Amino acid sequence: MGRFKPHVMVPDASHDEGARQDFVKALRAHLAAKVMPGAYAMYQARVEPAFRAAHGRPPRDQHEVRRVMEADPYYQFWSAMQRRSQELMWESVIDPTERQLPELVDRARRLSRRPKGRLRLNPDLKVPRYHTAADIHLQPGGYHTDFTTDDVAAGAIYDLGVHIYLNGALGPQNNAMGQLLTQYFRERFPGRAPAAILDMGCAIGNSTLEWARAFPTAKVHGIDVAAPTLRYAHARAEALHVRVEFSQQNAECTDLPAASFDLVVSHIVLHETSRGALTAILRECRRLLRPGGTMLHLEIPRGATPLEKFMYNWETYNNNETFAGFMTDIDLAAEARKAGFVPERVTVDSYAPRMSSEQKSYSDSFAWKILVAES
Amino acid sequence: MARTSSKKKSPTRRPREAVRLARVAKGHKPQYFSDPAIDKLLSIALTLAGELAVTRDRLDAVERLLEQRRILSPADVDAYVPGPAATEARDARRAAYIDRVLRAVQAELDEITVAGMPRSQDEVVAAVAE
Repeated sequence: MGRFKPHVMVPDASHDEGARQDFVKALRAHLAAKVMPGAYAMYQARVEPAFRAAHGRPPRDQHEVRRVMEADPYYQFWSAMQRRSQELMWESVIDPTERQLPELVDRARRLSRRPKGRLRLNPDLKVPRYHTAADIHLQPGGYHTDFTTDDVAAGAIYDLGVHIYLNGALGPQNNAMGQLLTQYFRERFPGRAPAAILDMGCAIGNSTLEWARAFPTAKVHGIDVAAPTLRYAHARAEALHVRVEFSQQNAECTDLPAASFDLVVSHIVLHETSRGALTAILRECRRLLRPGGTMLHLEIPRGATPLEKFMYNWETYNNNETFAGFMTDIDLAAEARKAGFVPERVTVDSYAPRMSSEQKSYSDSFAWKILVAES
Repeated sequence: MARTSSKKKSPTRRPREAVRLARVAKGHKPQYFSDPAIDKLLSIALTLAGELAVTRDRLDAVERLLEQRRILSPADVDAYVPGPAATEARDARRAAYIDRVLRAVQAELDEITVAGMPRSQDEVVAAVAE
């Protein structure tokens, strides 16, 4: 496994730091390919039969599955190891980030001296409670905590962390989701060339840059609530010579003018928000879109059977994806209609890429969900 | 490990003291086993497993460098990047190592998948008493 270094803002790893990252990758690959499928096997072999014997029927929903699975020793062990692998993943990238932080901060400052793009921070922005209540994905400090002046640590930790999380499957620049959604947009709307594109919840801009690359003449804007992550996003974009404007905004209520975008997108962001925020974000999308504009939100599937739903919701209860559980039962198309989009112009599409066994997380089947609405 | 607020305007100077980043995520930590000590033991065991993997990787680097140059300094090892052959060997060895360390988990799965696995020790005892 070669070191991940697509640009100068990614922290380097000493021999042992790199070896720790390699161990986490190998451990996660083992858990995904060899231990997680066993949870399904155990369910079929002993958990479900025991439930049937006691109740005369199979579990009705994911909540009944949860009650019996959480008592199963095999599930307990997988779950505890999966949790620890996530913690070890962050630890393996926090050590080198902390060691190199002064240089990373300096590098970010140098990169933003004569920028192609722009960074606008708002120190008065209130970071929403769905970020501050618990650190999302167990990343210590979350996306939003500043540990020093002009901090970029959260972004650096995230960039290297998600590369390890998906065993490199997120692409050479962690850009696979941006490529997937731009590709989808081109197939679904051939010939369209949006002039202004907004990426909501852009984090380090790893997907945002794909929109700027796909539509070089477009004005591309990325927003997020987290300052250290945005500083990193800006430096990262400059290091990769891509022009993007970043600003610190809450997607529920931005300061951007109405009808100013042809395309508003997000990449697996909605399930990290909240009930109220989801409604507000979709309304804000509608306000920001020009007539004829398009909204695209990439989301993660949440399983079909009660067992699959339970397995996908491992993240909800064990990895601080607190809102992901509610997303299981939310009708995204209905939410878009509630936000004022015309019913005939709202769809939820399914998109299934190929995956290796090491990339599977909670189930054999995986298809992205894409909420599409036209203004 | 203090979390500072980003409220104040940032002066453009280098931070003076070494910054300490958080190592523990905010949020409710689930308990997986009947005794919380088991949770801690498993966490420690996985960390030890990781550190042993790191040590093996480091030793591998030392051995390869010794063979290559017959001279050694810690900086040499820090700068060592495994080539394609070493990477392949390391990946295979690491996967086998994890198989070995986590055998106890695989064993439980084998109990339901391996044909003729006895249900209890009494069953085995009874079998040899015949």
